[in-house]
Amino acid sequence: MELVSLRNVGFTYAYGDKPALTDISLTIEPGLLYGVVGLNASGKSTLCSVIRGIIPHFHHGELTGEVRIMGKDLLDWDPAELSKSIGYVFQNPFTQISGVKETVFEEIALGLENLGIEREEMIERVTVVVRELGLEALIRKNPNELSGGQRQKVAFASIIAMDADFIIIDEPTSQLDPDASEAVFGIIRQLKERGKSIILVEHKIDLMAEYADRIIVMKGGQVVMEGPARDVLVSDGLGDAGVPYPEVTELAFALARAGKPLSSVPITRAEAAQLVSDRIKEAPHAHSAL
Amino acid sequence: MGSSTVHELDQDFINSFRSPATAGNRIRDLNPISFAIIMLSCSVTAIALPGPAGPAAICLLFAVLSVAAGLAKTFLPLYGKLFAVVGLILFVLRAAFLPGNHILWTVGPISISAEGIIQGLNFSLVVMAVCGAVTFFFAVTPMKNLMLALEQRGVTPRATYIILASFQAITDLGKNTKVVMDAQKSRGIETEGGMVRRTTAFLPILAPVFLAAMSQTEERALALDARAFNSRNRHSHLVSLRPVSSAEIIVVCAVALGAVLSIVGAVFIWN
Repeated sequence: MELVSLRNVGFTYAYGDKPALTDISLTIEPGLLYGVVGLNASGKSTLCSVIRGIIPHFHHGELTGEVRIMGKDLLDWDPAELSKSIGYVFQNPFTQISGVKETVFEEIALGLENLGIEREEMIERVTVVVRELGLEALIRKNPNELSGGQRQKVAFASIIAMDADFIIIDEPTSQLDPDASEAVFGIIRQLKERGKSIILVEHKIDLMAEYADRIIVMKGGQVVMEGPARDVLVSDGLGDAGVPYPEVTELAFALARAGKPLSSVPITRAEAAQLVSDRIKEAPHAHSAL
Repeated sequence: MGSSTVHELDQDFINSFRSPATAGNRIRDLNPISFAIIMLSCSVTAIALPGPAGPAAICLLFAVLSVAAGLAKTFLPLYGKLFAVVGLILFVLRAAFLPGNHILWTVGPISISAEGIIQGLNFSLVVMAVCGAVTFFFAVTPMKNLMLALEQRGVTPRATYIILASFQAITDLGKNTKVVMDAQKSRGIETEGGMVRRTTAFLPILAPVFLAAMSQTEERALALDARAFNSRNRHSHLVSLRPVSSAEIIVVCAVALGAVLSIVGAVFIWN
């Protein structure tokens, strides 16, 4: 069964003068990681809000078309049930802290308290997430006194601990350094391996190339492209939407323009390393291979 | 993450959630509702008892209890300031303006009478006893424990969240104001100096600070929704409170009975 299906969906915020989303038709299949890319204000977060049901249950406006979540019309969903079924990590880390818990450990447990999980299981689940995200040094700290990056990790941990089967993650690494970003993506990969369905909004296209199964490209409130990550990330459509290509893909394009194309266009560093290595091995004179 | 330092998991801290929260002190470990009843009873007793001796004894009791609770360093200076400011002002106003037959001093239009002094002393001590009860209650009781106790007695998580978040919002507003004031200062706007200058620098930032706070409230509501806060499940709790012992019930009943008797006395005996 389709996880989410959108048919000709449009949305205009209550106080907006133009639509934030226009004529979007999209199907999200379970068990896959969908990357959503696009320039700022292209409608990525609004699309996530529709899929999560925040629109129209929380943000009001004019929603047109049909949205079905797990086979049920979005308008028929109880918002409280949606919050249990779909995890959502928001973009802004500063408003994702509840503000009422005294320690990071308790903050991460908040969602589990709301789900009515028993104390011992709660402690176990929070402990596992703390270890996975490397938050050991923070568990005693007051969440209100954390840096933006630390809050982002805590907010991410809080949603992971709730263990929803479908998770929407909106720019989880916007406040994180490269190492921490890699670690967050490592967790996202583990979630995917555990069979979770994930929609990930992210500007770091190189990381997206490593992890996403499919890519949704947005521009001006419309989905201009959707397909397997490999197809999308080497296509002209990505460049037309103003989204940068992965670094190694740009390199392959440059080689092609110089008349020395690689045997295929890589989208990840590992692929690029392999292709370049093969080229060097095949070339009779390594110095002229490239 | 993002660091080569590997931190050990603080197992003692995690294990602390497996048993009821304790501050290691009998007074501070009282159930917040029990303690609220005790403080309320003390206030009622102070109001109902005749003369200044009763409320004075209650004020003294708070001081002694704060020592026993290990909170003397924080409570006594605060209570002392309340006495010095609120108590003294109330006493002076009452003593100076209440009419009486036994005039002790006359300074211009103000005549200070013996009755005024006694009533002023009585009134200010009663107010200080009530202030002391409230101050001591919040010095002893962590807000989260109070909210947990209220939830256990049927108050909705939404109501307790609003109370806790309101307290946090005051702190956040203060922080945000400081950030905006620093930003103003960095742009060369004078924010220090006399009262007029500070006021003219402060007033324009109130609107953006409050608008930002309102916007954050909306986002925080969404973040709470993401944590299934609106779930209709019975909410569970990571932190637990100590069960109320029989001895605690007896103490609460005794103090409450004292309050009831003092009301009876006030109605039928000494008033």
